[in-house]
Amino acid sequence: MKHTGTNRTIRPSSPLRGPGMVYSIYVALLGLVTLGFGCADILVWAGASDGFTWGILTITGDDFFRWAWGGVVMACGGVLLISGAAHAATSLHQAAKVAVGAILVWLIAGTDLLAMLCAAIPADASSPAFLNTPAGFFAGFAPPYTPAVLLLPFTVGLLLVFRGRVRRHET
Amino acid sequence: MVLSPDARWEMVDILATRTVTPGSYEPSLADVAGELTVRPLTGIPVALAALYAFWSIFTSFAGTLMTDGFMVKLFDGYWLPYLQSVWPDPGSWHYFIFVGNPLAESSLEAFGVLTSGFFVSIGVVLPAVLVFYLTMTLMEDSGYLPRLAVLMDTVLHRIGLHGYAIVPTILGLGCNVPAVTATRILETKKQRFIMMTLLALFIPCGAQLGIMMAVIPESVGVVFLCLLIGFGLFGFILSRLIPGENPEILVDVPAYHWPVPEYVAKKLWNRTKAFLKEAVPFVLVGILLVNLLYLGGVIQALADLLEPVFVVWFGVPKETAGPLIAAFLRKDLAIAQLSTIAMTPYQLIASVVLVTIYFPCVATFVVMLREGWRQLLASVAVLLAVVFVYGGMIHAIGILLGVA
Repeated sequence: MKHTGTNRTIRPSSPLRGPGMVYSIYVALLGLVTLGFGCADILVWAGASDGFTWGILTITGDDFFRWAWGGVVMACGGVLLISGAAHAATSLHQAAKVAVGAILVWLIAGTDLLAMLCAAIPADASSPAFLNTPAGFFAGFAPPYTPAVLLLPFTVGLLLVFRGRVRRHET
Repeated sequence: MVLSPDARWEMVDILATRTVTPGSYEPSLADVAGELTVRPLTGIPVALAALYAFWSIFTSFAGTLMTDGFMVKLFDGYWLPYLQSVWPDPGSWHYFIFVGNPLAESSLEAFGVLTSGFFVSIGVVLPAVLVFYLTMTLMEDSGYLPRLAVLMDTVLHRIGLHGYAIVPTILGLGCNVPAVTATRILETKKQRFIMMTLLALFIPCGAQLGIMMAVIPESVGVVFLCLLIGFGLFGFILSRLIPGENPEILVDVPAYHWPVPEYVAKKLWNRTKAFLKEAVPFVLVGILLVNLLYLGGVIQALADLLEPVFVVWFGVPKETAGPLIAAFLRKDLAIAQLSTIAMTPYQLIASVVLVTIYFPCVATFVVMLREGWRQLLASVAVLLAVVFVYGGMIHAIGILLGVA
């Protein structure tokens, strides 16, 4: 299959210094943590541990789909963040890799939050009521959280940089 | 005059050189990120994430929220006890047909037209199909689906198809009926035949998925793995056995954009409406016919006749003959029936895989017939051979692993 497209020019990268360097280090660290969490998800699912909860973080590893498949997606997100870290603030191609890496984390976190929401709306199976009480509903969002949900605020910070890029492109 | 593909591309180049004037173009972040989603190294993780999100939204909304959260409570807590209390004469034939088992505690196990029939179609299938079509439409309208087609092209060419075969494949996860119609997107008879056969064999529909999630949630991954291996293996074999072409196609990939809510709502409504018009009557009539066959002793006679094949060759109990006959009418019902038979985990997985790869449901059968009776007969011949061979293979693997 041949897909049509236009030749794209990528802006040359500028050397790493100042805010660009801080941003690159931030993205690289975020990528390392994401990769580590992804590997931990897979290892716990594979039986390296029975699952653990540490403070507000939990990895239960009880479900192939969430922890093995989701862990692979998290690990890929981490690799993309790391590979795009150098010159992420100045090179469009590198920034795109960071954006895609962040989107992978958002997808996992978003689906985790949706799962919490869907579990919190109905009442408990033993209750005759259909809808949960307000207290029960909010209790459904109490910690601990999955690694992806904990990483969400840190990856959302990247949005500001992306928005800046989009605005520059529009002007 | 017949031009070779190379000569055609040369002509395209000459025409493009004469008519197209390239200008300067500044790509945006979205353009470059979009391009990354069609390159294998970066595109495959994105595809894995998209399919993960697709499945996760499906299980959270359809499984946890709608079916387990509301529908089970409604049907098992109110509807089933109400019918059991008001319907006269629990020992009668009409009770057996319309309410089902008088001792059943859940609508799924009762297997009456008004109990399991309504629970399966409204309580399980409707939420599953609704959320499936919503996510499918979002992928389509955002521009991701054509990218997925480009990405999957190399893989699908190995089984005689091209990238756009991903459209009927994903559509088939909702309902095989529109998926069979969507095989017209493929260019050659060979491609259409392979796709139609693989759809009928290895792609479980939304109704089956919903029931699988309700009945065997812990084994859905293993069932999917069996189906995925079968899809690749038999696609590869069919692409080598069937004569015909597998041409390249030219795809214009649109830019990513936010789906328009109005169009999404319209598509969702049309698809769900069409599905419900076909699914609900088939579920109700399906249960009615199966119950009549049980009452007439036909199912028992077939189970006795087919016992050697089921027990010796497939390694499943002979009672699965009934669900396999029901599978021709509705596969979701068949899986619901399987859940009531005492089986080992291996037998349950093997029988669910068998139900899936067994004959397509009658609605799919009719649509396949519309595509041509010769193709249908050939597909049926392939189906029978594949069910026999693959069912035996799974049993052999089960024996080797010590689980069968």
